[in-house]
Amino acid sequence: MNAWIFAATLAAASPSAQELVDKASQAQYYAADDGRALVRMMIVDGQGRKMRRQFVVLRRDVKDGGQQRFLVRFEQPADVRNTVFMVHKKPGSDDDRWLYLPALDLVKRIAASDERTSFVGSHLFYEDISGRGPGEDTHTLKEETDEHWIIESKPKSPNDVEFAKYEVHLRKQDYLPETIEYFDRKGEPIRRIEAARIEVVKGHPTITRMKVSDLRSGGYTLAAFGEVTFDLGVPDDVFVERSLRNPPAKWLRAR
Amino acid sequence: MAARTLNRVIAIATVAGLAPAAAFAQTSSSTAGAGTEDLMAGDEWDAFDDMESDAGATDSGSDDPFGGAFGSETRVDIHGFLEAAAATRVVDDDRSADDFLLGESRGRLEVGVERPKAKGRLKVDFIGDALLERVDIDLREAWADFTLGTAFSLRAGRQVLTWGTGDFVFLNDLFPKDFQAFFIGRDDEFLKAPSDSLKLSFFLEGVGLDVVYNPLFAPDRFITGERLSFFFFPGGDRAGPSSDATPLDAQTPQADVENGEWHARLYGTVAGWELAAYGYVGFFKQPLAFDPMDGTLLYPRLSVYGGSVRGLVFGGVFNVEGAFYHSWDDEDGTDPFVPNSQARALVGYELEVLPKLTIGTQYYLEAILNHGDQIENSPLPQFEPEELRHVVTLRVTYMALSDNLTLSLFGFVSPSEEDAYIRPKVSYKITEAVQATLGGNILLGQDIFTFFGQLENNTNVYSRLRFTF
Repeated sequence: MNAWIFAATLAAASPSAQELVDKASQAQYYAADDGRALVRMMIVDGQGRKMRRQFVVLRRDVKDGGQQRFLVRFEQPADVRNTVFMVHKKPGSDDDRWLYLPALDLVKRIAASDERTSFVGSHLFYEDISGRGPGEDTHTLKEETDEHWIIESKPKSPNDVEFAKYEVHLRKQDYLPETIEYFDRKGEPIRRIEAARIEVVKGHPTITRMKVSDLRSGGYTLAAFGEVTFDLGVPDDVFVERSLRNPPAKWLRAR
Repeated sequence: MAARTLNRVIAIATVAGLAPAAAFAQTSSSTAGAGTEDLMAGDEWDAFDDMESDAGATDSGSDDPFGGAFGSETRVDIHGFLEAAAATRVVDDDRSADDFLLGESRGRLEVGVERPKAKGRLKVDFIGDALLERVDIDLREAWADFTLGTAFSLRAGRQVLTWGTGDFVFLNDLFPKDFQAFFIGRDDEFLKAPSDSLKLSFFLEGVGLDVVYNPLFAPDRFITGERLSFFFFPGGDRAGPSSDATPLDAQTPQADVENGEWHARLYGTVAGWELAAYGYVGFFKQPLAFDPMDGTLLYPRLSVYGGSVRGLVFGGVFNVEGAFYHSWDDEDGTDPFVPNSQARALVGYELEVLPKLTIGTQYYLEAILNHGDQIENSPLPQFEPEELRHVVTLRVTYMALSDNLTLSLFGFVSPSEEDAYIRPKVSYKITEAVQATLGGNILLGQDIFTFFGQLENNTNVYSRLRFTF
């Protein structure tokens, strides 16, 4: 009898792994109703060669945990300056994506892409920017420490992804992932994401610096999210073709 | 640097339970506000911070030279590139004395000004042309844009305009093109020539309307025989740089209120499907009419009406577009010296088949209306195009090495005209600022008078080296 009560209490006290992952997704990718950041990246390849990227990203949540809109305006390098990328993210189906090439005044519709391919040549994947669906993996709470939940996640469709499993060190204080490590089928670590700086912006704990490492090539990308702000009140009709051809300074200017 | 080191100290202090000391340290830190927590430290972040300060020096956004004059609301950006480009024929051409098609150095200056409700851009190219032995200035863009309220904006001046769903195939886009640039190995952006236009854009409740007015007719920058040899229809033969006659002497419509151009597009998105209707009133963009009396070439009057649909099907982009070309000066198709009306249709599909590997294909149909009347009345029926022109295109793009290497191939094949045009290209970013491009323009055809076949002797390879700043 006592054992039963104890088990029930424990179940109530420690949330399920799925609940934790849902909360983590909310904390990292759905903070507030909208937000904006100036993203700077330094991409270092396996040979130590450095490349730079800089863009402003504007996000609006249509529904928490559901559809989102993104508008990305590139500032660096100079040859892609003023290129605009728009995504209507639709969890559970293919995202709508557009790219605007200013030299040609061309609005190009982009085919749905593998979410686990490089974003703008960096070591970040599209999914690292917009979030991986919490329902795409089976999550297990492996360990609990004073400060972290350690969750192991295995893909429900292993053939669609490059990893066999990943392990997240989730911070108890704010549900942000401190580290995420991906493993191949042999159990070797192949990729790592580390939060390097966490700041509280308008009451939302936010990862403002992160490092993504390709452990096989030795390359990595450092990304800084600057001038982060939330709850701008950006309306939905900003995320339309018009904003590709004529990016609204009101919403996209981080400075 | 100091602030970051301080943050590290704060992080260590916090971990060590020295919270009061950390709180004190934070008050004296300029970059790290309360609630900033550093979890990593290392040399790489030093390099990152150094890079950021570099970026600050070149990014005129944060180093605004006019910031003082106009206030912080105004942002000025100055950019550009320097490029060297050369192209040479790899086949013999009896109409050209020189194998070189392109030998130029180009410098671009681009100035952008942005304010919350207005923006402007100046983009000018300075070209030293070794082939034609001259210096050119090409004003690509010079416009101002004003936003009035949330629904209305106006862009006035020289601008590059594009719409429609085709990939290198244009049905409802009657803005000027530069086909010569396309065939001699200049960057893809030069396929679109600018026009001096007034563009009004309305957007309300998810529906957009663009109206473009060109007070002066803006023709294509078409092939004149200056560099490329081509089939000169009135002469019934190929012509080129070393032909006796200067072939193309076209008479542009007079600068007159009646001779302006109107372009319009009504568009919206329904459940991820982009729908658009288009209209154009003006002239054919090339001098396709011929006055047999005085031997001049003319731009006949043209109206175009069309529509397009674009959306996702099985993760790929599917598009359909149609257009009706109404040739006002030859409505019944009996005038052999003026093109007939046409119906044009396009269907396309593009898919990312593997990560970073995209394949796209299109089928394009051009139907000449009243074709029988054209043949019946033509003095040179053997050179008249077929009633139906079918074209299939294929695009393959692959990116590798952190997107620094791009391999691409674009091909046009017309089974009805028995001709083809293939554009292989490799471009590589040597550093962030320097890009090298190597490519070819392969032109093939059974006959000398078909669209691509006439250019067969211009098959060339080209290379470009560009430094962007």
